[in-house]
Amino acid sequence: MNCEDVERNLDAYVDRELDAGADTAVRDHLAGCADCRRKVDERQALGRLVRSAPYYPAPEGLRARVSAATSRRAWGRHLVGWAAAAVLVLSVGGGFALWRSAAARGDAMVDAVVGSHVRSLMADHLFDVESTDQHTVKPWFLGKLDFSPPVVDLAPIGFPLVGGRLDYLGGQPVAALVYARRKHTINVFVSPERDEAFRGIDTRSVRGFHVHHWTRDGMSFWAVSDVNDAELTEFVHALQTS
Amino acid sequence: MPPRVFEETVLPHLDAAFNYARWLTKNEAEAEDVVQDACVRAMRFFSSLRDDNARAWLFTIVRNTWYSRVSRRATAAEATLEDTARDERPDDAPDPEARLLQQHDVARVRAALEELPVDFREVLVLREIEGLSYKEIAAVVRVPIGTVMSRIARARERLLAALKPSARMETLP
Repeated sequence: MNCEDVERNLDAYVDRELDAGADTAVRDHLAGCADCRRKVDERQALGRLVRSAPYYPAPEGLRARVSAATSRRAWGRHLVGWAAAAVLVLSVGGGFALWRSAAARGDAMVDAVVGSHVRSLMADHLFDVESTDQHTVKPWFLGKLDFSPPVVDLAPIGFPLVGGRLDYLGGQPVAALVYARRKHTINVFVSPERDEAFRGIDTRSVRGFHVHHWTRDGMSFWAVSDVNDAELTEFVHALQTS
Repeated sequence: MPPRVFEETVLPHLDAAFNYARWLTKNEAEAEDVVQDACVRAMRFFSSLRDDNARAWLFTIVRNTWYSRVSRRATAAEATLEDTARDERPDDAPDPEARLLQQHDVARVRAALEELPVDFREVLVLREIEGLSYKEIAAVVRVPIGTVMSRIARARERLLAALKPSARMETLP
């Protein structure tokens, strides 16, 4: 390659877009040509300069509006889904359809649990009340919910309570308790048991998240996290026996 | 297509979408409108997302959204690329980076980048800031890869010329 050839390929070379043969040819030329080398240096320096230009992250308000806009649509689709399920029950009738719709409700609930977990991490709205003290977190829910979620700290076994917030699952308000495990977050959603369809659900894994469900004293619990399932099982067992 | 999949696939790229829109529009409020519209469109067309590259796909929608707004307002003049490639060769520079960095703070770089015609500006932003490959840029901007390459080359030449301590410098804010 001569200087002219190199010049034509200068940007592709800097951007590592040349195939191996051309890349080597340019490199060979550069080894003996200070002029072309200077042009390469200049472009690389320019790249660093451009990367120092401001990065504009999405404003918080926008994030919230987009979430709201897309979940409104999602809710619309949900209704269509429920309507379809209702039609199915009416037209087919019998136990099979009822069983199916219960299973579908369970699936939808698991999805909602995972979605809520992901949203809580993405929207940077993990807590309404940030505290490692169960005696601060539990009273915080007073007056905000018509039930009182059991709150225990599991710091002694490596799952510290870090806070709580109000959340919604399936259109119902729930208490969300937030626990930490190293850098991971565990959300536990607590509400009075309303749908026996979920009783059959024990553990599920959805898109890399593990979900555990259990009921106790008329309350329904959903634990969700990306920690490995063995650890989440240990966590759930500790909550169940506390 | 279940909505949650959309949230997990597309919303993580909201910052990148906004950064791109902000560089396209050069205006915070307009960038917000563009991205919000784009996300609603993206939701509607979510099933058209074929491959895994949700970020490049979202860029395409952001770009289309912006262009349709611009053409609706008939201010496309700003958006079109007048073809006046300058051939200003850099003068001798022993240490180009040091020289550039010494003389240009972030505000200057931003101003110089904003001064570029949008067709040049966007390929540089997609390449240098978002790290897209030529192939990905070609898909977002909808031009052949060869055109991406020549736009990037000319964008860099212009930017270099603008940032050089030459007569053109004085025209920068």
